[in-house]
Amino acid sequence: MERSDHDRPSHPREDEHEFSEERESLWRITLGPTIWAFHFLISYAAVSVYCFKFERMFSMGALRIALIAMTVAMLAAIAWIGWRAFLRWDVRDTGEFSNPEGSAEDRHQFLGHAGFLLALVSFIGVVYDTLPLIILGTCR
Amino acid sequence: MPRETRARSIFLPGPSRLALLSFLLFAACEGRQSALVPGGEDARILGDLFWVMLAGAVVLWFGMNGLFYWATRRSPAAHSQRIANWLVILGGIAFPTVTLSALLVYGLSIMPDLRATGNGPVIRVTGEQWWWRVEYQREDGSTVITANEIRLPAGVRSTFLLDSKEVIHSFWVPSLGGKMDMFPGRVNEMTLGPERPGIYRGQCAEFCGESHAWMAFEAEVMEPEAFEAWLAAEAAPAVTPASAEAARGAALFLSQGCGACHAVRGTPAVGRVGPDLTHVGSRHSLAAGRLGTSPEDFAKWVANPGAWKPGAEMPAYDHLTGEQIDAIAAYLEGLE
Repeated sequence: MERSDHDRPSHPREDEHEFSEERESLWRITLGPTIWAFHFLISYAAVSVYCFKFERMFSMGALRIALIAMTVAMLAAIAWIGWRAFLRWDVRDTGEFSNPEGSAEDRHQFLGHAGFLLALVSFIGVVYDTLPLIILGTCR
Repeated sequence: MPRETRARSIFLPGPSRLALLSFLLFAACEGRQSALVPGGEDARILGDLFWVMLAGAVVLWFGMNGLFYWATRRSPAAHSQRIANWLVILGGIAFPTVTLSALLVYGLSIMPDLRATGNGPVIRVTGEQWWWRVEYQREDGSTVITANEIRLPAGVRSTFLLDSKEVIHSFWVPSLGGKMDMFPGRVNEMTLGPERPGIYRGQCAEFCGESHAWMAFEAEVMEPEAFEAWLAAEAAPAVTPASAEAARGAALFLSQGCGACHAVRGTPAVGRVGPDLTHVGSRHSLAAGRLGTSPEDFAKWVANPGAWKPGAEMPAYDHLTGEQIDAIAAYLEGLE
């Protein structure tokens, strides 16, 4: 049996409930890019300070391992955020790729869609940030 | 219709016009200042990067235009939502991600080769308006000073310590590798690994004032033994003038005050303002690639440097007679 939420008589408080959740969701879509931004900032700052001040004092090994561990943790967080957003988008159940209608439910699913795409681009961004660390591994 | 025929002959390239066009396009690829005719490891790596990017761009260009053709001429009807979605996912997300990742990995993988540590001579090059101060730092701590010419041994990586006196310059020998900027008060390090002996041309690649375009130099890659012999000769003091005319020139050089700015080691001329002239006669060019090194070229330069290099600090010596200038030119040309 196909779900058809739009035909169902809505509960009088349902919209309000959805809307309150949506406010949270609006914040949630920024989480992926925020993690990406912090990853970039921390990696860049740590490596430049190390290369400028401490290159001759100790090897880069420990810093590399710490940054790679941070990267793995951040990628896991972005993947989790992306998965939650994917569920919110609900494309598998509804088959609705886009949600243009502007109802509370549509907004909810749209934010899931946007959050998922932002998590995806953040994931790729974090991987790209980390490639120099893995491939180069020196200050030169 | 004669008018139309005439218009065609002007605007449509005939065989000779195409030949001219391709000559103009490819003339720059030949010769001793081309990044596409590598004389060393670095230029080869950068050349490969260029060809890979060019090949990719050509494939993408044909691919995109093929899609435009297909979508507008072959299959102009609307596609289903499903196909459109997959087109966006595959063509807009998956393909660029894979392509950019591959290019990023390739680009990063060649960086260590371009930044490898030097195992050859260490050369300090200081950009000045508009010439190059060159100092070879030898292992025994001594320095060999020259100017406006770099000589390098083939098969080893030379290290360049790049600095500038007053404005930002950029050190670039396209046939040997990439460029690096020279900043006042900061030493940038670069290494180059030349492989093929020959005379290449370097050029300042950062606008640095009126005569920026005339700020060039010759870079000769030599067999290692020849390089060692050259460096030993370059370290020696200047030869004594071989002819009476050159001896007159040497006396004039000192009496006219040239030694206040120029050094000719082994003589009272010890100035450090302008280029060291101890072995100027053995160089491939005069005034940072501006003139040749015939006696006539020396005379032209001494008489009026500003005519050849606008804004040059060296004053014109046009108050001297032609004979006197020729004597100075003979002296300088003999400083081998």
